[in-house]
Amino acid sequence: MAYKKHTFPLPLIVPEYLIGEVKAKLAYVDENIVSGQVSEKGDAITLILRDELTSSQIGALESKATKVAEQIVKSAFKPRIQILEDHLDREVPCKVDPMEQLINTGEISKEAQGIYAIGPLLTRLIDYFDSQFTDLADSFGAAPYRFPTLIPASYLEKINYFRTFPHSLTFATHLREDLDLIQDFSEHASCDEHGIDVSMNSFSKIQAMLTPAVCYHLYFALADKPVPNDQLVATAVGNCCRYESSNLVSLDRMWNFTMREIIFVGSKEFVLENRETARKRMEDKFAQIGLAYRVETANDPFFIGEFKQAAFQTAFQLKFEILASLPFQNSTVAVGSYNYHQDFFGRNLKITLSNGKPAQTACVGFGLERMAYAFLAQYGVDVRTWPANMREAIS
Amino acid sequence: MDEIKEQVVTLLTEALQIGPEEVTEGLTFGDVPQWDSLGHMMVMAALEEKYGAEISTETIAELVNYKAIYSYIEKQSNGL
Repeated sequence: MAYKKHTFPLPLIVPEYLIGEVKAKLAYVDENIVSGQVSEKGDAITLILRDELTSSQIGALESKATKVAEQIVKSAFKPRIQILEDHLDREVPCKVDPMEQLINTGEISKEAQGIYAIGPLLTRLIDYFDSQFTDLADSFGAAPYRFPTLIPASYLEKINYFRTFPHSLTFATHLREDLDLIQDFSEHASCDEHGIDVSMNSFSKIQAMLTPAVCYHLYFALADKPVPNDQLVATAVGNCCRYESSNLVSLDRMWNFTMREIIFVGSKEFVLENRETARKRMEDKFAQIGLAYRVETANDPFFIGEFKQAAFQTAFQLKFEILASLPFQNSTVAVGSYNYHQDFFGRNLKITLSNGKPAQTACVGFGLERMAYAFLAQYGVDVRTWPANMREAIS
Repeated sequence: MDEIKEQVVTLLTEALQIGPEEVTEGLTFGDVPQWDSLGHMMVMAALEEKYGAEISTETIAELVNYKAIYSYIEKQSNGL
């Protein structure tokens, strides 16, 4: 397939702190866009386009991409990032992207964009990191839960997910209950490079989605009733799905990934104190692992129309991200976060405290594949270059 | 009604899409459903647009009630 590069000037300057945000959103502008870049000066956009397009089609794309940049710039406030921990200068031996070696050795195999099968070394590493996070959960006496990979669409609607993150939703469906239709599917359905070649009319109305987070299930389990003893700590690990279009290029950005969460429900003081305690306990664990990372204030990747909320998250310190170093490209990847939701879930789902007020919630989440990927990016795929304690832990 | 009070009422009613009778001197973030996180950022955007001063993240976290917004507008009006 022939790709075409197209650069055009913007009628505004995208500030440096928003360049990554605009770039990430360009992927959702049009199916003809393979990837997009914003120039270093923030004054132009370069799009890699899938096909030869007419000049009017290109004009329409320019217009849509410009609108995205304008909306994000217009609704943004310049964040003042607060750094809570800085261990990015921790010495690590590797400066090579582990992806090529992982693929060449069969340690991972790419099934489709953003979908990977994982081999024994990475699995052991992921299990080890999860055991560390489970230790953290145990230190709070967290109750274990198991949650499904599917989540009712109505749940996500109720917590405003449709408005805030529509671009990352993944829908689950099935064939409609219709014998003729099912038989026709079994005899004629086939896949091409774009997916299953069948009429959308064959599928049922969407009732469920693939869950984008683990903790939502707990909040719904607690809905419409008081929190027992006014406080709860829970933990669960689960599959999560967040569609990221052409941004899904490596183990650091997967459509389907595994997340361990530790969730706090109770008073403001209870959840904030525990979030902070969790951060401090993890600082010791990350030191033992030898991870080079930083913890700083951050925001979720809100969709364009809701981007204003990003500044709210930063201003009220609702989210601290754990950014692990990727030395081979002199950048970082978020491997986890410490989140405070105020009374958002308590208010929306009527989770109450004994004083009648909505419960507050916080959660600590770790992306297990990303943790493993960041560790391998820092220490390499050859276990002989790992710290001794990590070699022992995996063996 | 003093001039600044009038400005605060106009700002909050327009940004939050609430009635002027709901804007009391005790009004605080979260008191009305419209003053949620998104509503708060609409208020901040309106303040920035109206007074031309760049709103910092610290200011966003401070201007969470009627009185704080009143003081902010008062300072802006006095060129402080």
